Parts: sequence; structure tokens; C-alpha cells
Amino acid sequence: MAEDTTLSDDLLRQLMSVGEADLLVAIPTYNNEGTIGQTIQAIEDSYQQNFVRDRVAILNVDGGSADQTQEIVLNLNGKKSSLRRGITSLRTVHRVTAQYGRGPSQGSALKIVLAAADLLRVKACAVVSPATTVLDPAWVANLLRPAYKQDFAFVAPLYSRTKFQGLLARNLLYPMSRAVFGVRIREMYADEWGFSGRLASECASEQMDEAVRARPEAWMAVNAICNGMKCSQSYLGPRTATPGGPDIVETIRQTVGNLFYCCDAFQDHWLDRTGTESVQTFGSDHELTAEDAPSRQDKSFELFRNGVQTLDSVLKSILAKETHAKLKEIATKDIDQFDFPSELWVRVLYDFAAAYHRTTIARDHILQALAPLYRGQLFSFLSDQAQSTPEEMEADTESLCLEFERQKPYLIERWKAKS
Amino acid sequence: MKDTIVQGLQQAYQNMAHMIAEFLPRLVVMLVIVLTGVLVAYAFKYAARMILRLTKLDRLSEEAGASKVLRMAALPSMTEVLSRSVFWITLLGFILIGISVLNIAGLQEQVSRLLRLLPEIVVAMLILFLGLVIANFLSRAVLLGSVNRGYGSALLFSWSVRFIIWILAITMALDELSVARQTVLAAFSIVFGAFMLGLAIAFGYGGQDLARKFLERSLAEKKPDDSDELQPL
Repeated sequence: MAEDTTLSDDLLRQLMSVGEADLLVAIPTYNNEGTIGQTIQAIEDSYQQNFVRDRVAILNVDGGSADQTQEIVLNLNGKKSSLRRGITSLRTVHRVTAQYGRGPSQGSALKIVLAAADLLRVKACAVVSPATTVLDPAWVANLLRPAYKQDFAFVAPLYSRTKFQGLLARNLLYPMSRAVFGVRIREMYADEWGFSGRLASECASEQMDEAVRARPEAWMAVNAICNGMKCSQSYLGPRTATPGGPDIVETIRQTVGNLFYCCDAFQDHWLDRTGTESVQTFGSDHELTAEDAPSRQDKSFELFRNGVQTLDSVLKSILAKETHAKLKEIATKDIDQFDFPSELWVRVLYDFAAAYHRTTIARDHILQALAPLYRGQLFSFLSDQAQSTPEEMEADTESLCLEFERQKPYLIERWKAKS
Repeated sequence: MKDTIVQGLQQAYQNMAHMIAEFLPRLVVMLVIVLTGVLVAYAFKYAARMILRLTKLDRLSEEAGASKVLRMAALPSMTEVLSRSVFWITLLGFILIGISVLNIAGLQEQVSRLLRLLPEIVVAMLILFLGLVIANFLSRAVLLGSVNRGYGSALLFSWSVRFIIWILAITMALDELSVARQTVLAAFSIVFGAFMLGLAIAFGYGGQDLARKFLERSLAEKKPDDSDELQPL
């Protein structure tokens, strides 16, 4: 019983007054008084428009905001929306708030959400970010519906993006997670996602490791895949940039650390698995819009070259000899002739994943050592794709995914190697 | 004259025979003790190896970076190092007990002195080992942090941290052994103080621009570099 230890007495009291619910939308917050009202409004509008007869609730899990976030959640009066067209909910929309600590933690917030979803016996649940300023009632419905009506355990979002947005996801997270776990979920690392009550119960009973606490949504997706549950994707809309997010090193620690950890924790599932399968997509597929190429990232190249030279001893303990030699060779090239071949990029990542699995050095150091190499790959990618059309870029991503799949035996070989 | 010589030789022979008769049983006892020691040391070694494998010490040692230090020093795994240490410490103990049984004047005192020092030697070795491990871990952390922030002197920063921790560990180990305590402390203070003063002067005079840039970067609002402006997710 996860709720025994995770939920506070106050939250338990609030949840017991709700009773049972069909749908739950959770909002993890931390000093979001500027946008939380808009988020609550979008969720309530979604409930009014799409789930009039269903028992619904909104759960706000707060990391100890110093502003008025929690007060706004509880006291915001629903305004008459032009979208409602006279429809009003037949049931009360319950609002529940909980505070879990002094400082934001996605993992701690999600543990409370999972325990609450389990206690309320919800059929579907969605997590939305208050930082997403373009949250639309349709987004909420698109995340809830596949889990509620069609028995999908995990619902990943699909966004429309500009060409040079989400390059870590495009060049590393998506192709590698697809090749390793064998499921083509485009956006496993997102701020919005949906899941079934069954998956919530499953995850609530599991220990959430420190390595996945910053991005627990991907851990949930991998849990669903490895437990044989169905996954889907729902198109939401344009992805907005979140200002003031973590830098690239921290992002790599959070996301790639999460991916490597999942590879390690769920190795029994994927080591014998071959091929990949697509998942059901609701709405239009991944959309890419044209965008002017950013200015040449010479600094990224310098950081790459300096990193390969200075971190020689660290890389030696992570990479296979041949991979390390090839990496050093390309690092000596002139900036105008520089190219990071996709074959080498895949080998580098598989060597890093295997080193993480064997803990050849401290795991956090392995992740930090990847940052300069990613910058090199980013520089090469931007140079190659500066003038390409969205279709050409998509084709390039697909060929990278196939390269990851082609070299999966290499990962398995390195994974099982003794040293 | 002849009788005196014969008598002297007889006396010497008797003394030698007496000494041998007295020494041989002690030597046999010593050999028995040492042989027993070898057996006990082997038993301790295998027991220690089994316990350490059960506790998955090697994995912990890998995570802490200790195994890398051992590999750099061409040493085997942590489990192997500790179990071999148990073997040699046990054997050394038995050898010293055996030597004390020989009852050789002067040696007894030296042996008991060494025995008294044994725990301190072990502690000093442990301090040195921990110092190496910590120095290795922290210097690598500094190296990675400096490289990712684009500092030009990443290796210098990293080696400075390693050097300071080594000096500290060596000083602590020597202090534990009570070896020239005053001299060691004075030497440490001088070396450490000179090092920090050198850094301060180098940074203040030689790197005024660097210091200004560093402070500006540290105190100003954090701005992501070019590549970070591209949203990674």
C-alpha cells in the first residue's frame, strides 16, 4: 500500500472526501502563480467539454512554493468559457492540493500522484505542466482519452516542433530508446503525459530510483513497455520553449541518466529483443516546421575538441579502444572538415551505456563526460542540416534510428563483456 | 697449557651444545607457529574473500572510483587487495610471535615495538588509500566540471585538487605514525601555505582578466552558451 507512507494525513482526508474518481489530472507546481490559473481553467474546460458525466478531480502537488500557487488552485473561480457552449458538468470537479517538500522534485511529485491515483481508483490520469503556456482543453482530453476509453497504459504526447528544437531528443533519446526497448515512442521525455490507473498502481508499488526522479515520465513509459502494456501517442500541438530550464550538462544528467538507468534496470526485457514496433498514434504525426538555421556553433566544436583532449583518461575508461581512437582522430580535424559520422556516434553512446552498466567510473562522471561529445555531434548535425527541409531532416532521423538498431548487437556484446 | 686448551674447547663445545639444545626446541616452536600462521592466514584470506564478495564490495569500489586507482597502480580488485592484506597481516603477526619465542636479546624489544606500531601502520595505510581514492574522485569531478564550463585550465585545476589531497593524506599518515611530527606539520604548513599563496598571487597578478571574467560569470545572471540556446528537449 503505497499511500500509507506517501500521502500525508491532510491529503488523505481530502482524497477520502473525493471518494472514487474516473479521471485525475495532476499539476506538479513550484512558484507558478503566474500560469497556474490558466492551467486549472484549461483542465476544467476540458472536463466540461469532454467528460461531463465522469467523476473527475484535479490534484496539485506543490514543491513548497513561496508564492500564491496553492491558494490560487483552491480559490480560483471557474469563469464562463465561450468554449463550454452551455454545457456544465454533472458532477463536482474536485480540487485537491498537497505539498511534498521544500524544493521541486518531479519524482517526489509523481510518487504522490501515483499513490493518489491508486487510492481514488482512477481509470486514467494525466500530468500537465503549469509552465506550458499553450495548454489547451483538447490537450488534456487527448492525454486522458486513450487510457480511459481504449485501454492504453501510457500516452505519450506528440508535438509540432521547429526544425532545430529538441535536438537531444532527436539525435539521442528517441533513436536509442527506440532501438533498445523496441517501441517507437517519439516523445518519451515530455512535460505532459497520460497513463492508466493500472499503470499507476503498478508504478506506485515500485521503488523509484534517484536516477529517474528528475524525469520520471520515461521511467513510467519503460515500465509500461516492459510489463507488456499498450502504449500510444497523442498529438497535442506546438511545443513551447520553457525559459530558464537546465543547461545541456544538467539535461544530459537527467535524461540520458534516466535512459541508461532504465537500460540497466530493465535489461532482462531488452537483451533478447530484436526489431521495433510502432505504437498507435492519435491525431497527426510528428510535425516539423521550417526555421532559419542558427548561427554556426563554433563554441560547441571548441568544447568538443577540448573535451576529447582533456578528458583523455576519463574517455579511455569508458570507450572501447577503437571508438576512442576514432574519436581522437575526428577531433584533430579542421572545423570546416569536421564530421561526426552517425556510426561513430552510435558506438560512442553504446559504449557509454555499457560503461554506465558496469560502473567503470562514478556514473555521474560518465554522464558528464558525454556532454562535450554531444556538443561535437550537435555541431556536425547543425552543419549538415542547416539548409535541409523538414522532410530531409526526418529522413535523416529515421536513418539514425536504423543505425542504432543495426548496431544493437554491438551494445549487447559490450554490455555482456566482463571488462 | 695443553690441558687448559682442551678444557677451554670442551667448555666451548658444552656451551654450544647447551645453546643448541636450548635454541633448537625454540626454533621448532617458532617454525610450528609460523606454519600454523600460514594455515590460519590462508583460512582468514579465503573467509575475507568470501565475505567481501557477498557484500559486493567491488561494485561499491567501482562506483567510488577506488578500483580505478587500484588499476592505475597495477593492483587487483578491492576484494583481492583486502583479502591479501588480511593474509599478510595475519602471517606477519604469527612471524613476530614466533620470533619472540626465540628469546634473542634485543630482538624481543624490537619485535614488541613493531607489534605496538602495527595498528598505526594499518591506519596510516588506510589513510593513504582513502586519500588516493578521494583525490582521484574529486580531481575527476573538477576536471569534468571545468571542461564542461569551458575553462582553459581544467587540467591545472584538477591536478591542484589532487595534489592538495595527497599532501593532506601523506601528512595525516606520517602524523599517525608519529614520524617527526613537528617537522611534518611544519613542512605541511609551509608547502600548503606556499601553494595557496602561489595560487593567490598567480590568480591576482597573472590572471586579473581571468579573475574578473570568473567573478562576472559567477555573480552575473546565468546565461546559457550558444549551444544551450537550442532547446534540447
